[in-house]
Amino acid sequence: MIWTFEQRRRRAGLLFVAPGLLLLAAILGFPIVDSLLLSLQRVQLTGDQVSHSWVGLANFERLATDAVFWKAAFNTAYFAVMEVLLVSLISLGIALLLRHPMGNSSLFRIMLIVPWAIAPVANAVLWKWILNANYGILNGILVSLGVIDFNHVWLGSPFSALNFLLIVDVWKSVPFVALLMLAGLQRVPQSLYRAAYMDGAGPFQSFMHVTLPSMRGILAIAIILQTIWSLRVFDLVFVLTRGGPADATVLMNFLAYRVTFNFLDLGYGSAIANVIFALTLLIAALYVWLLWPREPGGRR
Amino acid sequence: MFDSLNRRNLLKYGAATGVGAAMAGFWTRPVRAADAALNVFCPLPPDPAPPGAAEFAKEAFAKWQADHAASVTYEKLGWSQLHDRMATAFASGSAPWDIIYNCGWVPEFQSFLAPYADQLPKDVVDDLPPSSFKTVTIDAKRYGAVFTLSLLTLFYNREHLEKVGLKEAPKDWAEFKAYAKELTGGGRYGLVFNYGDPAGIGGTASYWMVFLQQAGGKMYGEDRMPVFNNAAGVDALQMMVDLMAWTDPGSISYANINDATNVLLSGRASMMMNWPFMWNTANDPNQSQIVGKVSSAVLPAGPAGTASIDGTDAWTVAKASKNQDKARELIEFYLSPEVQKRQVLDTGWLPIRLSVLADPEVQAKAPNAAVVLEQAKHPYDSFVTPDYNEVTVAVGTQVQQALQGQKTAAQAMADAHDAVVAIVKRRG
Amino acid sequence: MSYARLQHGGPLRRLIVLIGLVIFVIWSAAPIVWLVLTSVLQQRALIQQPPDLALHSFTLANFTTVLASAALLGHGMVNSLIVASFSTSVALGVGAPAAYALARLPVPRANGIAFLILATQMLPGIAIAIPLFIVISRLGLIDNVLSLGVVYLSFNLPIVIWILRGFFLGIPFGIEKAAAVDGAGIFKTFWYIILPISWPPLCASAVFAFIEAWNEFFFALILTRQHAQTVPLVIAQFAGQYQTVFGQLMAAAAISVAPVIAVAVLFRNQIIRGFADGMMKG
Repeated sequence: MIWTFEQRRRRAGLLFVAPGLLLLAAILGFPIVDSLLLSLQRVQLTGDQVSHSWVGLANFERLATDAVFWKAAFNTAYFAVMEVLLVSLISLGIALLLRHPMGNSSLFRIMLIVPWAIAPVANAVLWKWILNANYGILNGILVSLGVIDFNHVWLGSPFSALNFLLIVDVWKSVPFVALLMLAGLQRVPQSLYRAAYMDGAGPFQSFMHVTLPSMRGILAIAIILQTIWSLRVFDLVFVLTRGGPADATVLMNFLAYRVTFNFLDLGYGSAIANVIFALTLLIAALYVWLLWPREPGGRR
Repeated sequence: MFDSLNRRNLLKYGAATGVGAAMAGFWTRPVRAADAALNVFCPLPPDPAPPGAAEFAKEAFAKWQADHAASVTYEKLGWSQLHDRMATAFASGSAPWDIIYNCGWVPEFQSFLAPYADQLPKDVVDDLPPSSFKTVTIDAKRYGAVFTLSLLTLFYNREHLEKVGLKEAPKDWAEFKAYAKELTGGGRYGLVFNYGDPAGIGGTASYWMVFLQQAGGKMYGEDRMPVFNNAAGVDALQMMVDLMAWTDPGSISYANINDATNVLLSGRASMMMNWPFMWNTANDPNQSQIVGKVSSAVLPAGPAGTASIDGTDAWTVAKASKNQDKARELIEFYLSPEVQKRQVLDTGWLPIRLSVLADPEVQAKAPNAAVVLEQAKHPYDSFVTPDYNEVTVAVGTQVQQALQGQKTAAQAMADAHDAVVAIVKRRG
Repeated sequence: MSYARLQHGGPLRRLIVLIGLVIFVIWSAAPIVWLVLTSVLQQRALIQQPPDLALHSFTLANFTTVLASAALLGHGMVNSLIVASFSTSVALGVGAPAAYALARLPVPRANGIAFLILATQMLPGIAIAIPLFIVISRLGLIDNVLSLGVVYLSFNLPIVIWILRGFFLGIPFGIEKAAAVDGAGIFKTFWYIILPISWPPLCASAVFAFIEAWNEFFFALILTRQHAQTVPLVIAQFAGQYQTVFGQLMAAAAISVAPVIAVAVLFRNQIIRGFADGMMKG
C-alpha cells in the first residue's frame, strides 16, 4: 500500500518534471553543444561560406596568454564579488524596511518595481546622460550642492568607470532581489519571533537567530541568481563605456561579445563564453553546497 | 486510453502549430507575385537611409518601383545594431537581403558580396570621386558605391574665435594647438573629441588615423603589414596627447560622437572634428545653443598637409541575391542626380555625385559642402581591412593609454604595432 | 518592552526606518524622475549646465514625435505583449509542476536535475545566439513572435522553476499528508491545495518572467527583422550613430514602461499580497 503510494508519487514526479526538461533540451540542447564544439574550432568567413576547422584546445591556450582576457577576468571578479555583496545587503535592507509597518505601503512596492521594469537599453542611455562629464545631471547636482567644485569625469579613469558601472548595475538588480527577500521575510512564522521574544531576544538577536536562518533558502537563491547575472553583464558596458577607457571596463561577457560579433572570431569567442560557463558552474555549485539547506523538504 | 489522450494532444499541438503559422502570416506583408521583391538592409534615419526608409524622394521612389516591376521592402535597424545582425546572418550562412548598407565592413564581408559596382554605368562612375571607391575595392574589384560624401572636417564656434580675436580657422598643427589653448578657460574647452570607444569608424583609432595621415604616415605597407611605428605614427599620437591639455577631459569617456557633439552644441567647447551631417544639427534650435554660429573648415594641416577619414557609407549587393541586376538598378536610382539632390536638401546627408555637390542650390542649403569637397582633394583613407574592428580596438586602446598618460606615445605605438602584427598574422 | 513594541521598534528605530525609507525613495525614484523630466525637455535645455528648467524649455514634442511613429511603437508593444504573455504563461504552466515535483515528489536525483536546470543559465546568451539563429532560420521561424517567446522560455522557465521550488520546499508536509488522508490524488493535491496557497510566489515569478521577456534585447535583435520587432528594439532606434535624440528615446521608454507599471498597479493587491502576506503564517 505504502509502496504503491510512493510509486505513484514517483511517476507523477517524473510526469511533472518531464515537459520542462524536454522543452529546455529542445531549445538549448543544440546551441549549448554547438557552442562547446565551436570553442574547439577556428571559424572563418572566407570563400562562399563559413569555414570551420578543428584546432583542439588552441583557443583555450590563446586565452592563457591574452592580456585582455586576464584584465577582463580580474575586472569581472571584482565586479561580481562587489555586485553580489552590495545587491544582497541593499536588498536585505530594503526588504527589512518594507516589512516594517511604516514601510508597508503599496506605493513603496510599486516604486521598487519601476527601475527593474525600464527597458535596459533605455536605462543604460539614461545613466550615460546622468553620468556625462560635461552636461550630466549628477555633476550638476553635486556642483550646485557644493559637494564637488568642478565637473568630474565619472567614466574617465579606470577604477571610477568600473565602479560606476557597478553602481548602475546594482541599482538595476536590487528590485528583483529585494522583492524576493521581502517574500522570504514575510514567510518567517510570527510564532518564531514571539518565541524568541519570550526567550528574551532583542531585535538584533531575533534577526540573527530567527530571520536569517529562516531565510536561508531564499538567500541562497538570491545569491546564486545574482552571481550568475553579475558574471554576464553586457548591455551596460556596451552603452556606457564600450569597455573603455583603455579596456578598464571590459568584463568577460563583453569581451566574448566583442570577439564573437565585432571580430567575428567565433571559435575564440565561444572559448571565452565557455570559460564564463565553467566558472559560473563552479561558483554556483559551491554556493549550493554551502548555502542550500541540508534537508530538502524539511521544515526550516 | 493513453492512445486517445495522445491523439487528442496531437490534435491540440496541430491546432497550436496552425495558429502559429497563421500568426506568422499575419505579420508578413503580401508581395505582388509578378514583382521582383528587393530586400534592403539599412540604418534608420537620422542616420543615412535611402528614399522610402527616410522621408525624401518618395514619389520618385514609388515611380521607380512601378516602372521596374519591383517591390522594395526595407529592413531598418538602429545604426549600432547593424553590424551584429549582419554578423549573425553571415556567420550562419544565410542573409536574406539583396542590398546591404555597409560602413567599413566591405572587406570583412567581402565573400558574401557581389562586385556589382564594376557594372555601374560610366556616366555615374565618372561623376563620383575616384577615391570614394577606395574602401570598397578589393583585388581591383568594386563591391560597393559610397552614396554620401562623409569626411571628417573641422567644425568651430565662430563667436568663440572672434571673442579672442581669431578671424579664421586654424590652418596647421601649430595654430591648432595655439587656438585650442587660447579658447580654453572660463568653463569652456578649446576642443572636444569622443575618445571613449577605441574602435570603429569615428572612434579613437579613427582620430589617430587622421593625424597619422596629416603627419605623412600610413597604416599598412605593400605586404599588408603595419608600417606606422615610426616618426609619423608617434608624432600623430604626440599631437593628440598635446591637445589633451585643452580638450574637454570628459572626451575620454564619450563613447559616441553625439556625446561630444552635444558639448560643442552647448557652447562649452569651441572646436571639434565632425561629419557633414553635424551642420543641420548645429543649426536646429531644438538641439543647439549655437544656431548660426557654426563654421566648418578643412582640418588643420600636419607636416604632410591636411588629411581626413572617410565615413564609407556604401551600398553593396549580396552575392546570394537572386535579383542582382535589379538591385544594381535600384542603387543606380539611389545615385541618380534627383535622388542625390533630395537627399541633401531633405535629410542633410551630402550627395556623392560631384555634379550635385556643385549645384548652387545644394551649396546654399549645405554651405559646408564646399569644405567637404575641398577636404576630399586630400588623403582620406580609413584603412579598412577584413579585421578592421579588431585592429582598431587594439590601436585605439593603446592611443587611449597614451592620452591618459599611462604610456609615452612611442611606447604606445610600439605596442600597437606588435598587436596589429599579431592580428594580421593570425588572419593568415 | 511589549511584543508590539518589538515589531514597531522604539523612537530611535522608527527614525532609522524613516531615514532608510527616504534614502530608498530617492535611490529608486530620482533616476525615474529624471527620465520623465528629460522626456518633456528640449535637447537644447538638457545640454546646458545646469539644465535649463525654465518653462519655455518644456515641450511635448518628444511625445508627439514618438507617437507620430506610433505605428512602430504600437506594433512593438503588441509584439512584446504577445511574446511576454506567451512566455510567461508557458513558463508558469510548465514550471510550476516541475518545481513542485523537484521540491516535494520523490524524483530521483531531484537536486541534480534542479542544478542542471540552473546550469542552462550559465552559458552567456552571446554564445548560444549564433547556433540558435541557425536552428531557427532552418525552421523558417526568424521574425516570428512565437518563436521569440519560445526562446525566452530558455531563461524564464529555469528561473521560474527555481523561485517556485524554493517556496514549495517551505510548505509543511502536514498539508499534503492531510490531503492524502482525505483521499486526494497527487494531481488533485497539487491543483486544489498547493497552487491556491502558492498564489503569491506564482505572482512573483509571473512578474519576473513578464518583465524579463518584455525587456529582452539581444535575442530580439538577432531573431527578428521587422515584423516581430519588440519594444526594446523600437526604443533603441532612437539612439543613432550620429545623433541621439535623448528626449525622444526617454519618451519612448516612458511609454513602453507604462503598461508594465499599469499591470503592477492593477494587480498590486495580488502582488502586494504575494510579497506581503507570504504563503505561510506561523
